[in-house]
Order: sequence, then structure tokens, then C-alpha cells
Amino acid sequence: MVAALQRLSAPPVQTLHTLQPTPATVSYTVSTRPEATTLTAKLRFYAGIALRILPAVALAWTLGDARAEEILVLVSRLPWRYLAPASLCAVYLALRRGYAEESLLVLRGLGLQTSTASSIYLRTPTTRFIPTTSVQDIFIHEAFKGFEIRFYLAVVVKGEEDVVVVFPRLLPRRGILEEVWRGSRRCLWEDAGGAKKKGEEKGRESA
Amino acid sequence: MPYNIAMVSDNFYPQPGGVESHIYQLSSKLINRGHKVIVITHAFKGRKGVRYLTNGLKVYYVPFWTVYRETTFPTVFSFFPIFRNIVIREQIEIVHGHASLSNLCNEAILHARTMGLFTVFTDHSLFGFADAGSILTNKLLKFTLSDVDHVICVSHTCKENCVLRASLDPLMVSVIPNAVVAENFRPLSHDSVHTRRNNAPGPPQPLGPNETITIVAIMRLFYNKGVDLLIAAIPRVLAAHPNVRFIIAGTGPKAIDMEQMIERNVLQDRILLLGAVRHEEVRDVMVQGHIFLNPSLTEAFGTVIVEAASCGLYVVCTRVGGVPEVLPNHMTEFAAPEEDDIVAATGRAIAKLREGKIRTDLFHGQVKQMYSWTDVAERTERVYDGVVGAVGSEDFYGGDAARGHPDVRSFALIDRLKRYYGCGIWAGKLFCLCAVVDYLLFIILEIFAPRSRIDICRNWPKKILEGEKVNTTRIAEASDGMPRRRDRRRRGSE
Repeated sequence: MVAALQRLSAPPVQTLHTLQPTPATVSYTVSTRPEATTLTAKLRFYAGIALRILPAVALAWTLGDARAEEILVLVSRLPWRYLAPASLCAVYLALRRGYAEESLLVLRGLGLQTSTASSIYLRTPTTRFIPTTSVQDIFIHEAFKGFEIRFYLAVVVKGEEDVVVVFPRLLPRRGILEEVWRGSRRCLWEDAGGAKKKGEEKGRESA
Repeated sequence: MPYNIAMVSDNFYPQPGGVESHIYQLSSKLINRGHKVIVITHAFKGRKGVRYLTNGLKVYYVPFWTVYRETTFPTVFSFFPIFRNIVIREQIEIVHGHASLSNLCNEAILHARTMGLFTVFTDHSLFGFADAGSILTNKLLKFTLSDVDHVICVSHTCKENCVLRASLDPLMVSVIPNAVVAENFRPLSHDSVHTRRNNAPGPPQPLGPNETITIVAIMRLFYNKGVDLLIAAIPRVLAAHPNVRFIIAGTGPKAIDMEQMIERNVLQDRILLLGAVRHEEVRDVMVQGHIFLNPSLTEAFGTVIVEAASCGLYVVCTRVGGVPEVLPNHMTEFAAPEEDDIVAATGRAIAKLREGKIRTDLFHGQVKQMYSWTDVAERTERVYDGVVGAVGSEDFYGGDAARGHPDVRSFALIDRLKRYYGCGIWAGKLFCLCAVVDYLLFIILEIFAPRSRIDICRNWPKKILEGEKVNTTRIAEASDGMPRRRDRRRRGSE
């Protein structure tokens, strides 16, 4: 029973996808989307998509049909105060993204961009671009969050009082953060040993 | 054997004070001895979160609600989730609480025992037994200390007081005095020659009869520091001795009374009120004087007296608490905590200084030999050894007395409940209830926030000593350590 409770209360598993087409570009994506590897998982994934799209398609298909007219009459007879929330709810369910995804894109000589996918499909992700010239440091530190202490990866931006937290919603675990930290530093200042040393003096992430 | 130690207390920097500096000094010396130490305290204004101090001392400023004189509100269980998280991520083995009035420390000891960690408690203060507040505090202390592995007191008086208050077995209580950083408290005329010699460096230079003697008093102006005595005694001392002046530093609720006294007696030209003084400036104030006056009403140890003696001041103090144990007789003039006696003792001290009987120039070297934090850390480490069971109870408690003392105190819930039950008719049952609820909370946390979900922290890179160099670098290479390798290279170039 304990194991079952633990599994129920567990947060979704986070995976890190690294995409590095050239040595000067790297993109890290942390996502809670379950990876569909088995056949059943894949089927379930496509079934989910079909379930979201099919009702609308079916309604459009049967437009002008007698039976569809009947349904439309039935719907129009409903008072609007039930109709409006119900349809909003349906739209939300159809467009809801079932997972969270956040990413960091690093381009040497250009800068880095953090982005957080919104919880609804049609809305664009929230992004923040920081040019290399204003990136002062990237570090991992700890902070209190709720009843626990979490690691976070942060970028110090020149002229700003607050740091920019990368992956602010997911706050992945230390293993993922360290990989991203190493990779992005390597990508940004590969041969610049001086810049690395500067980060070390902060002493935040030395092993 | 290096331990992972968590110091827990409501009192820590940025707030100044004796307990704060004790924790800081002890921690940094323990780190030097190869242990890992973190400090857990509550958030102060403008300071919240996780911070690193010199030497890799990590401080957790836990966001909490403070009620009175920077103490957190006593909620018995609310600290548990965060405390457990910190303890697990830092892989703590020993929880060391400081200051009995600190609610954070009391809670931490209870939770640590529930989690099966070793606990040590250091008492820094004396309390009465009579008034309602003390009775309540004592009951609370009894609750925490009935299930603690070992207690450290800063003086023998403090030990006696603590044993009585918490009904402890005296064997469980060790005395480890505070220390001072003698380098920070050098007398004005100090040069390097004097540090090595303890015998007389030359003939004493007596003060002339008309030379002004300055008396320094540094304290927070609270009732328990004896400010009222000081206010009553100063006009009489000044009336009796013409060439004497006072320097008083510190603030507090009694500052108004002090100013009124000065104005009523028109003593503005003979008393200098400095207001709040930071700890690192204390020495600069002290060296301006000849005599240090400490009229405290209760004092467990009295670090400030040692600091004053280290600065080469003759000390006049009240014979209260642990004060008589602190300094040898030739450095101090004792008085009973009453107005007449303080005036008389100050008079005696002034006379002795004028006669040139006191060799205050030798005090610094003597104090330096008596007190050092390295020594305190060594002795504390031995307590840890005894608690963990690395030193057998025979060795730790000494021969026969150890009979009936297991090497390690049992963590079984039923044994803990037995200890709590003996605390009193009603209190015992209440404490048992608290312990049981705490245990249930622990199990709930283990289910809903399991250890596997908590990241383990990386340790601060240890200083590599010359002898261990080869050994440690191999370990560093074996684990991993981009940063560590660089660290070594930097050290090599030095």
C-alpha cells in the first residue's frame, strides 16, 4: 500500500532531450511528456489525439443532416448560462496540453533563450532571449520552495537585479541541471578559461 | 572519523551576539578538522535562503515567523518537513542544537531523534526556577533534553543549572568553555615580542596619581545585564574618584535610563555613550580603557570578560553564574551584584592600578594560552565520538560511572516514550503524545516525500593538506570532478 501511495503522489517523470546540430548550438528540453516507446503507449497517444479532434470533425461532417439539425435544436434550447461554461470547458479540454515542457537554447556568439511551453496548445510559449554580451554567469544554486529545497539553474543578466531562472516551472533535479550547466557553459565559452574561472569563484557549483 | 554535523539555532549572524560567534567559530574549526558542518537558522530581514560563508560553511536561513527577540514562533511540528529535507540532502549524522530558548533548536532535536540521528545540545544561558516564565521554559527544556544524546554546557555553573532544570543525569553533561579569538583582541601597546613571552618583559609602569583612568562597559542595555546597577554605581564612583571617566557602549531598552542618569548628575564630560558597537569594533573601544566593568546579573560564561582581559584590561565583575570560573584571580576584582559592593570593588581596582600592582600588559599572552577555539573544537569532537559510539561508554564516561550507559542511546520509539513519560504526571503524557505524533508525521513524510525524491548536495571541496595530497587527489579523480581538478592546479601554483 505504501508503494502505491508513493507512486500516486509522485510527480511526473522528467526527461532531458539534448539537441546539438553544431558544436556552437545546443538546445536542452526538459519535458514531463511520457515517452511513447511501447506499441500500447503509442496507440494510447494517438487515441488521445483522435478523441480530441473527432467530435468536431463528426459535427462538421454531419452538418445539414437531419440528425445534426436535431442535435443543434436541442443545444439551442439549453439556457446560455449552462451552454457557455460547458463549451468553454470542452474547448479547454480539447486544447489542454497534458504535460509541461521547458527549454534552453544556447547559441554561441548570439546568446541564450529560455522558453516555457504554455499549458494550452494554441498559445505561444513564453520566451526570454538574453544576448551573450549581457550574460554574466550561469550557476546552480539552491532555494526554499514550499516545504523543500530545490536546485535551480540561473543566469545572471547584466544590469538586472534578479537572476533569470531557467526551467522555472519544472525545476528539474540536480543531475539534469548539472548536465545542462556543463553543456551550456561549454557551448558559450568553450575556450574561454577565464570565464569559467569566474564562475568557480562564486563557488556555487564546485564539486 | 569525519562527521556531517548540522548546527541548529535561532541565533546566528547577521544578528550579533555570543551564541552566534560561538556557533560560527566552532563550525569553522570543525571544518578545519575535516568535518562537514552546516548551520540551520531562521530567515532574518533581508537574508533568506541558502548561503555560503568562508571556509564552505553552508547556512540555511529557513523562512519562518519570528515573535520575540529574533526567536521563532513555537509550533511543535511545522519545522519537520523542511528540516527532514535539509538533513537528508546534506546527509547529516549529528544534529547539534544551541541555546535553550531557541525554538528551532528544540524542535530540531525532537525531529532528529525521530529520524534516528544523534543529537547534542549546547546550553549557553542560566535560568531561574521561580517565576512562571522560567517554569515554562524549564518544562520545555526537559521535554527536549529527556531524549538527547549529550549536553554541553559552557561553564560548571551552567552545567549545575542545566542538570537541575532538566533533571538530567550529570554524566550526560560535559563542560566545554567558550573561547575568544585572541588575535582579534590585542592590547594597544601590543608588539610581536610580547606574544612569545609570559614573564615580565620589563619593570611595570605605574600610573601617576593624576592620570585619568578610563572604565569601559560594553553590554546590550537589558535588565539582565545589570544596567540598573551600573546606572546606580557610576555617579558614586565618579564622585569618589576625580580622575576617572567612563565609556559605555551598547544599546537596548535601558539606554533612556542611562541618558537620564547622565543628565541628572551633569556628567556629560566624564561619560561617553557610544551607542551600538559592532563586534569587530569592540576591541577598538576596549583598548581605550584600563578597567572593564561588567555588572551582569546572570551570565553563563561571559565571553566579553575574556575579551576584555585579552585586550589588557583589569576586570571588575559581579560574582554571578559562571563568571568566577572564567578568569584567574589576578585578572579580576569580584563584587556581589549590589550597588555598594560594585562601587567598593571599582575603588579597589582603581587603587591597585594606581599602585602598579597589576601587570595588565601580560594578560593578553595568558588569555591566549587559556582559550582557543581549536581546543574547543577538539573537545566537541570527542563528545561526538562518544555520542556516536566511536569511543566506548567506559572511556567516554570514565570507568565505573559508565555502568548502565549503553554506547549508543536506543532510537526505538518505545524507549524514547519511556524517557518522555518520566517527565511529569501530565507533562509526561503530553510529551509522549507529541513524540508519537512526530513519529506519525515522519512516516507520512516518508510516504509522500520519499528520500529517493530528494537530491543529495555536493560537498564543498575540502582543503587538501600537504600530507594527504596524493591520497585525496586520487579519490577526486576516481569520483569525478572537473572543478576539483582545477582546484588542485590552482593550489599547486601557490
